[in-house]
Amino acid sequence: MPNASLVGVLFSALRTRPLALPPVPADPRSPSDRSAAPALLRLAGIHKAFGGVAALEGVDLEVRAGEVHAVCGENGAGKSTLMKIMSGVYQPDAGSLHCHGKPVRFASTQAAAAHGVVMIHQELNLIPHLTVAENIYLAREPLRGWFIDRRRLRADAQRCLDRLGAAISPEAPVHTLPVAQQQMVEIAKALSIDAGVLIMDEPTSSLTETETRQLFEVVRELRRGGVGIVYISHRLDEMAQIVDRVTVLRDGRQVASGAFADTTVDAIVAQMVGRALDEKFPPRRSVPGTELLLEVRALQRRPAFGPVSFELRRGEILGFAGLMGAGRTEVARAIFGADPRDGGTIRLHGQDLAIRSPIDAIGQGIAYVSEDRKAHGLALEMSVGENITLANLAAVCGPFGFIRFGAEQKTARGYIETLGIRTPGPQQQARLLSGGNQQKVVIAKWLFRQARVIIFDEPTRGIDVGAKVAIYELMDWLAAEGIGVILISSELPEILGLTDRVAVFHAGRIAAVLPTRHTSQEEIMLHASGLGSAHAPRFSRGGLRAAEPATP
Amino acid sequence: MNDRRQDLVQKFGALAGLLLLVVAFSSTSEAFFSIGNAMTVSLQVTSIALLGVGATFVIIAGGIDLSVGSVLALAGVLAALAAKAGVPVPLAMALGVLAGALCGAVNGLLVTRAKLPPFIATLGMMLVARGIALQITGARAVSGLGESFGELGNGSLWRVERIDAQGFPDVVFPGIPYPVLLMVAIAVVAAVLLSRTRLGRHIHAVGSNAEAARLSGVNTSRIVQFTYVVSGALAGLTGCVLMSRLVTAQPNEGVMYELDAIAASVIGGTSLIGGVGTVSGTVIGSFVIGILRNGLNMNGVSAFTQQIIIGLVILLTVWIDQWRHRR
Repeated sequence: MPNASLVGVLFSALRTRPLALPPVPADPRSPSDRSAAPALLRLAGIHKAFGGVAALEGVDLEVRAGEVHAVCGENGAGKSTLMKIMSGVYQPDAGSLHCHGKPVRFASTQAAAAHGVVMIHQELNLIPHLTVAENIYLAREPLRGWFIDRRRLRADAQRCLDRLGAAISPEAPVHTLPVAQQQMVEIAKALSIDAGVLIMDEPTSSLTETETRQLFEVVRELRRGGVGIVYISHRLDEMAQIVDRVTVLRDGRQVASGAFADTTVDAIVAQMVGRALDEKFPPRRSVPGTELLLEVRALQRRPAFGPVSFELRRGEILGFAGLMGAGRTEVARAIFGADPRDGGTIRLHGQDLAIRSPIDAIGQGIAYVSEDRKAHGLALEMSVGENITLANLAAVCGPFGFIRFGAEQKTARGYIETLGIRTPGPQQQARLLSGGNQQKVVIAKWLFRQARVIIFDEPTRGIDVGAKVAIYELMDWLAAEGIGVILISSELPEILGLTDRVAVFHAGRIAAVLPTRHTSQEEIMLHASGLGSAHAPRFSRGGLRAAEPATP
Repeated sequence: MNDRRQDLVQKFGALAGLLLLVVAFSSTSEAFFSIGNAMTVSLQVTSIALLGVGATFVIIAGGIDLSVGSVLALAGVLAALAAKAGVPVPLAMALGVLAGALCGAVNGLLVTRAKLPPFIATLGMMLVARGIALQITGARAVSGLGESFGELGNGSLWRVERIDAQGFPDVVFPGIPYPVLLMVAIAVVAAVLLSRTRLGRHIHAVGSNAEAARLSGVNTSRIVQFTYVVSGALAGLTGCVLMSRLVTAQPNEGVMYELDAIAASVIGGTSLIGGVGTVSGTVIGSFVIGILRNGLNMNGVSAFTQQIIIGLVILLTVWIDQWRHRR
């Protein structure tokens, strides 16, 4: 792990002096000075719910001129929703927004932009085949009569780019630029409409270290110019370099807010994960065997992930923890043959497998339950029964590939009963089932195929609590049957409540493999944030402990 | 069960429309409702139905085939040239079907290997196949093919004739034309294949959600490839039937037939998004188009007006279908 040393150095610097920018009295950005500055944007008591599920419950946030304000939280804590409310994508159900002390309503992103609030999305919103200048002034092109004033367009764009110190030609087509420069174009675009508040969503996720440093230089420049920056990132390790204040969200609530100087990364992590283990996890009845089932060695696909190595035993549930974009799904898809890989070996029962497509993987008994049921898991127009038999249709076919409909019905009914799939019958269209029941149909498909290794990718996303418990029980039952289970989940309680071991992913690699019984949410989160190596000992003692699985 | 009922409503809707057309035309034209005209209509419908069955395969799997009109011309011309060169007629026609299948295979490769959008791949084939047909014939019709070449298109089963008092043959029953028998046989085989076999199920799965099918271990490329080969082979067969009926091979035959085939498929309830469609629906759709043409002809409606009416019928059926699904 070439990154480990860097992270270590970074972290030790952070521990001895958690404050990145020492408050020098003469510094115009000293904390006392900043608190006196007017709030460019203030959110108070923001509530937002989607279909009865609360995403935000009473969040306050203040963005002042010349500061970088970080918003931290786990996946699903409500960061994105909050950003979208700030930038006018969503309207809050309750609560108010104030710009320079005056109440405002952002009915659209255009309205937010008119008040100087602009969001730079993680996946950039640029038109690839237009030039830099054309992108910066898209839909605001300077006109001369009926025609675009190309000379002014170019000059204005150049001025915006100069302000950033970015060496990018305004005439270059955007698709020819590397991602980091495209990001600069996005920022230039924001500056061109005099953005006072810039919201940056995971700006460093696709940048190299050098590019990240350049970006931070630009951020500091903007801060000096009085721009307020809302900064969202999973990379806690990077935050110390630029962040002035921090707000922590957990399950839609604001749990902490204050100057970065007054806190530590430890405290932020503890606040992020302090979620109660309130969900009902069935006691683990199964005991992992000793027999090695799946061995993955040096699996990689640059730049998405790798090299990654781990093993899975018979009847074991192995968790894949980590933050969004850490490479968990990519690794799973590579094992399953859904995406190509650059290198590495996959062994099952000690035998090397040549997996080039899902057909190969399925033939060897490896199954993958996708995180996106609707896009990758089910043929929605087809019936429940047809979906259940899809991966193993030959088993219900007679000579010449004629489907034995009786056998198919019987099979489908069997699984509908064993898994408790709530449907009027096997004829029902898969589209009409609830999320939890759709997930069970996908699981039934793989059970019918007699899979030996099943990879579950976020299996409980978007399904209600009752159905979740049923799926947990099912996973335990699968393990008891001797099937090796890999559980990819962003919900730490789920990882702690169900798995035997946890592989924690950070930036495309496995940062640590931890025994579930002796770890905690904090320890996992530190490894996932790239801070693990320096911290592990401190957190194995304190903090929330994993629910002890019932073992004989 | 709701699903089944919806399916039945769809079928009966199209069938009811068909019956309504028959009743309406029967009342406006005396010659319409007769065995002779029924056979004429059936004969006219065969080409639309054969191509429509191919289109149904391709469209259910999520593709489109614009090349069939040209492919049928190329296949027919090749069969005729072979027959003229002395190849026995059945063998020459098999050659035509094979040529069609080959064109389909190329379409399939362009879509699955070269990853071209089906619209573009088959548009290219449409021009290339037509061009070859015109090139090898010098844009002239191939005639003087002999009676045996016309047997498939003009012969019929159970034709009953009687010699009348003057010694002229009097047709008691015109018989069932071979093309109609061929259409029925192929429709039955295609329907069984699509609805009752593993292959058919996989075709539906690929069209419904190609990624889910791939992740379930379905060889999606092979399935898509298969549907284009079927479409091409049926176009080849249609070409042979059409040229046989005229006992002349026209390199300009079949222009715009691909659109009739797609229209028949769509009127019959096949979804252009893929995943949904039946052969029985397509056959009904073919008859809707065929009977409309025939009935309007008999009522002296001009060819231009006919185009307008058929265009409106397509828009109406698809709109009703969309509207029903949106509820």
